[in-house]
Amino acid sequence: MALPAGRLGTFPGGVRNALLIGALVALIVVLTLGFRRDPHDIRSAAVGKPAPAFDLASLDGTGRVSLQQHSGKVVVVNFFASWCVPCLEEHPALVRAWERYRTSDVVLIGVLYQDSVESGRSFVRRLGTTWPTAIDDDGRTAISFGVFGVPETFFIGPDGIIAGRHFGPIDEVTLIRGIDTLRRRP
Amino acid sequence: MSAARAAILVCLLAVAGAAIFAAWPSPAGPEERVERIVSELRCPVCQGLSVADSPSESARGMRDLVAKRVAEGRTDEEIRDEFRRSYGDWVFLSPATDGPTVLMWVLPLALLGFGVTLAWSRARGPAAIAPEPAPAALEQLRARVAREEAADL
Repeated sequence: MALPAGRLGTFPGGVRNALLIGALVALIVVLTLGFRRDPHDIRSAAVGKPAPAFDLASLDGTGRVSLQQHSGKVVVVNFFASWCVPCLEEHPALVRAWERYRTSDVVLIGVLYQDSVESGRSFVRRLGTTWPTAIDDDGRTAISFGVFGVPETFFIGPDGIIAGRHFGPIDEVTLIRGIDTLRRRP
Repeated sequence: MSAARAAILVCLLAVAGAAIFAAWPSPAGPEERVERIVSELRCPVCQGLSVADSPSESARGMRDLVAKRVAEGRTDEEIRDEFRRSYGDWVFLSPATDGPTVLMWVLPLALLGFGVTLAWSRARGPAAIAPEPAPAALEQLRARVAREEAADL
């Protein structure tokens, strides 16, 4: 029997095996990390940074709503729209949280997102929203907060830093926990 | 130089030339700049689409903001940074060229280099062929093959 004249492989067996094992391990690591993440849960880049300042027309037409006027307080900014069904679902939780904290150093601000003023006014009137609400008519405030959709809620500490963000309809427990954590901060 | 080597060299030069030509910055007007930037930005609502391709209100708002910033005289990088501050690197359809995502850029190039090296070494022809084993080793191998063939029978 004649032996082949050429090489039996480009790489020595050890190197080839090491490359294959390395590629396999890399694939497993990538897939494991990828499957552990919820694809809908996109981390907000705004958290940990100073809250973008805004000064918007109030939805009821009586004046302005600005973040600066509540400096030093815990501020919860809730982006909502009248066409958004989850916003309707979370509304009772916002009402209860507002009733609980409205006389304290906590401010809740609703920001109307991609909606008409008429629809927004009808929404807050129908549901009995009593906290300050504002119109983000050109969407700049939502962009500056890095809003992905509504409802989306941001927790801002007395230091003006965005401490947390909740995407989707928020519940009362999450609201209270978020607010109390910020109020307890020295 | 063998014909195969010359062909590989020509292909590499052509790819490099095309890449340089494509990446060469060209002076662009405000509208081109807006189009270029919004085509790089990911729509936060549609997520799979660029701001340029998305018909959503969010995308329209982002496009308007880009146009405003261009009109104000901001540089492309300043405008990108503004969106990066709000949405992070996620907002760019192309992964960032720093941090861990640099692997996404480097790995294909490394694989390309590996493939080119492999093709190059194969195209080198007879010079790349390993030397014949020593006569004693050859005899040992032949004896082993004979033993294994006998065992198979």
